[in-house]
Amino acid sequence: MSLRETFISNLPWIAGTAIIAGITHITSIMAMPYLAPKDAFARLEPAAPLDKMAVLPQGVPGQTLMPFEDPALVVGVCRYDLNVAPLRLRGALGGDGLLLFSFHNRFGTTFYSMTDKGALRGRLDVLVLTPEQLEAVEAFDPEDELPQELRLVGPTKEGFVLIRSISPERGNLAEAKARIAQVGCEAEGNR
Amino acid sequence: MITFAKTLLAAIVGVALGLTATWLAVERGYGFGAVSSGPWTGWPKTGSREADPYARAVIARSGEVPLGLAEGLSFMARTDDTGALLDPACDYVLSDPIPPARYWTITAMTPHGALIDNAAGHFGLTSAEIVRDMRGKFEITVSRQARAGNWLPLGDTSEFVLVLRLYDTPLSSASSSIGITPMPQLKRGRCA
Repeated sequence: MSLRETFISNLPWIAGTAIIAGITHITSIMAMPYLAPKDAFARLEPAAPLDKMAVLPQGVPGQTLMPFEDPALVVGVCRYDLNVAPLRLRGALGGDGLLLFSFHNRFGTTFYSMTDKGALRGRLDVLVLTPEQLEAVEAFDPEDELPQELRLVGPTKEGFVLIRSISPERGNLAEAKARIAQVGCEAEGNR
Repeated sequence: MITFAKTLLAAIVGVALGLTATWLAVERGYGFGAVSSGPWTGWPKTGSREADPYARAVIARSGEVPLGLAEGLSFMARTDDTGALLDPACDYVLSDPIPPARYWTITAMTPHGALIDNAAGHFGLTSAEIVRDMRGKFEITVSRQARAGNWLPLGDTSEFVLVLRLYDTPLSSASSSIGITPMPQLKRGRCA
């Protein structure tokens, strides 16, 4: 049998191999967020108590919590579990510097991000909740008034909020930390 | 018997190929949606709801938290302007122009995003620290040896990448224009 004939007679097997390869590839990519053992949430969980602002230790070589973090930033984290309670993030923003906020689901994917410029009249007021909790909150809204807070529906029950604060000059971490301390997060009580 | 052997072979080879493709995909970049300008490449959508399954897989595996699209943009350079891989034995000069941003920072890191230990004990420079000349231009020298002016120290490493972060930049809202926005030049200097 010539090479060509061998190839043609084995074509169904080759096609089958390619299909299996494709399915394996797509399945493993889609499954990765569910299987990855050291994703951002797993790395942050021990350092971040539930519904409390925690400032992460500054990274040093060989000892960084997450890869690709900017050493010029101080990072605060607020972990939430909407099964327990909605998360309220609140504080006064002002002064120099820069505060960045990003809201992440259990798999680390960003579902909302903003800078301190997004704050309403210098105040930050964000509520992270489930669709059911949102409905309950909206039921109490006065009809002729727009809510004075930003309401974000979390795509998963668990997740975290990162607050990054720049320390523009080396060795001036205290100021950056103080800016994070202006923002508080807590479990939202039943209303 | 032959049919069984062939089925088994097809299954084994197929799974191996599929997993290899997955490994390659998560090792190299963050899926689709890359924007490049010179040696700088960024994946702005990685930090948004529109992150594709490849980007989600990569960040789940690495454990990093990418910059949100509204927070700013992050770019990585693995090569200099000529396309040659960055070599820690060489000096590199990074210079104007830089896109508008409230703050920007430049950091030397390993290709996996770890900080590189160095004698000076600092790992990056911010826009607030940069010394500019009378015309407002600046140059940053990336080198293992201490350099006058803006010096970004490089530790003992076999390979490195440069990460440029633009915080609170108007570029985010027009990510399609990134490719034509002038990005910093990166030229190789002397090599040890």
